Amino acid sequence: MLSSFAKKTLGISSGLALSLATFAPQVSAAPKPKNVTVGYLNLVNAQLVTKSLGLMQKYMPGVKIKYIKVGGGGDMLRAIAAKQVDFGGLGNPPTAIGVTKGLPIQGTMVLNMLGAVEAMVVRKSANIKTWNDLKGKTIAAPFGSTTHYLLLKALSDAGIKPSSMKILDLRPADIAAAWARGDIDAAWYWEPNLDKAVKDGGEIFITSGDMEKKGYPTWDVGVVMNSFASKYPDYVVRFVKAECEGIDYWLKYPKKTAKIIAKELSLSLPDATRMMKGTEMVPCKTQLTSQYIGKTGRIGGFADTLVETSKFLVSQKRLPKQLTRRDYEAFINPVWLEKATK
Amino acid sequence: MMLSNLRMARPFHIIIQPFKVFRKLAVDKYFYASLFTVLLLFVVWIVLTATGFADELFLPGPAKVWQSFLSVSTEGYQGSTLVVHVYTSLYRILISFLLSCLVGIPLGILMGASKTARSLLNPLIEFYRPLPPLGLYTLLVMWLGIGEESKLALLFLAGLPGVIIATIQAVQDIDESYLRVARGLGASRRTILLNVYLPAAGPTILAGMRISLGFVYTVLVAAEIVAATAGIGWMIWDASKFLLSDVVIMGLIVLGLTGVALDLFMRLLGKLLMPWTRKSRFGTS
Repeated sequence: MLSSFAKKTLGISSGLALSLATFAPQVSAAPKPKNVTVGYLNLVNAQLVTKSLGLMQKYMPGVKIKYIKVGGGGDMLRAIAAKQVDFGGLGNPPTAIGVTKGLPIQGTMVLNMLGAVEAMVVRKSANIKTWNDLKGKTIAAPFGSTTHYLLLKALSDAGIKPSSMKILDLRPADIAAAWARGDIDAAWYWEPNLDKAVKDGGEIFITSGDMEKKGYPTWDVGVVMNSFASKYPDYVVRFVKAECEGIDYWLKYPKKTAKIIAKELSLSLPDATRMMKGTEMVPCKTQLTSQYIGKTGRIGGFADTLVETSKFLVSQKRLPKQLTRRDYEAFINPVWLEKATK
Repeated sequence: MMLSNLRMARPFHIIIQPFKVFRKLAVDKYFYASLFTVLLLFVVWIVLTATGFADELFLPGPAKVWQSFLSVSTEGYQGSTLVVHVYTSLYRILISFLLSCLVGIPLGILMGASKTARSLLNPLIEFYRPLPPLGLYTLLVMWLGIGEESKLALLFLAGLPGVIIATIQAVQDIDESYLRVARGLGASRRTILLNVYLPAAGPTILAGMRISLGFVYTVLVAAEIVAATAGIGWMIWDASKFLLSDVVIMGLIVLGLTGVALDLFMRLLGKLLMPWTRKSRFGTS
């Protein structure tokens, strides 16, 4: 016991000299993972900053960090179900599905609130001015994602039957291709692919930010596998710290961030700057307020969104049963954020 | 013409053969061996799920899968009943498979009989054959759009090489003496093609067709991922996004059963049309 403790302390102290300048590691005998796999969604948020600045590496010295880019929530859900990632990100509909289905995951933090970064683009020549004009048209959205959820919500609010139009399931990259060919009249999806349609004879009809004002917030939440969290609790805190630093960087240095986003997604600087405005990043301290994650024992508004979302999915027969708010509260674990922001 | 002797006496066989075929399929002891495997698999499934060894999220029990079969059959999945999903997919499969055969068999005969034709076309076929269907599909979607055309094209391309390669093989395997006899009797090219090549190569071509049909099935889900609203492949894909594993498994079983049925149909057809098929090649497989 003693000797192994001594070894660890020794190991840490020798590494200390190297890393002290940037970050002082918590001295603890906690086990250390060999690899950490981070699944990140292909969209515009501070995770790209964290990745590009190597912040994960900084907070987890000696750990091999593997990043996997995932196209949409549906794919991420499958990756999580197959235990291919340690950390992931999910929009509220996939989260509601995963929690209801009992996936062994817990919510750690707000990755981003979805504003104009997700929007419905309509073809100018299709002459779509009101929701009614969508009748008989072809609309695409990645099924199971936040935008598919908002599209159906908006239609039902406008009193229009989805069956009066053709709604197709396409992934963001496929939407861009189908749009270029003229196969679809409208699509609700997200940057960086959204921009391609807007520039190619499209205009924004409504954004996910508009829907947030109407009481349908959509967001992406960071999740961690339960097995990882119980084995390496310390490293979940480190993960959250790294992402928080990415968020702070985003808020503090918008110009530098735009450069990073432009590089990461191969965009022009003006495009990256504009797309950034559509994503709302929430500082980690603010995430602990009642609007977002909340605190231990007093889970915030994210639980309400999950209840709302699953109610909707049950009515769509995409979910077999409706859980209570308490069940969704159990999914959200503010402990990591609380420790990381202390 | 003397040549008519080369033609097999078909009418007689067509009347008698079906009964023989059915009897063979029904009481064969090998049939029981196959049945045993199926039952064993079923028992393993029940045991795994009933004991709680398998996570219900990934492997729901037979009862749940049956439930989803009933509900999708009656209420439907996302706007279409099971019959519509099966019909949509089978339509896509059969049309494109038929096209692969219509294009593949003549091409294969040509390539088998003429070395020039083989050298001309081989690079093309050998190049695209190992390409992953999804990679190919991206291009097809860009060229042909998100409608039926690209789906049919992908399935067609999946089925084509198998038919062509089997046909080439079949034609090359034909006993030279058949051709010499036919030529010696003054048969025209057309007659040789229809009355020597086709009947002699038939069994191997059919074997190739059966394998090809399998390939068409393997890309069905890929073909229905993009912008489909119905089809068994799409249903499986869509359900997997919502972690509805009971629907996924049910869909896979239904899809598998249609495949088995189609294969059985093709074997029956083979026995009817080509009763001269050697037993060793087609007996009980």
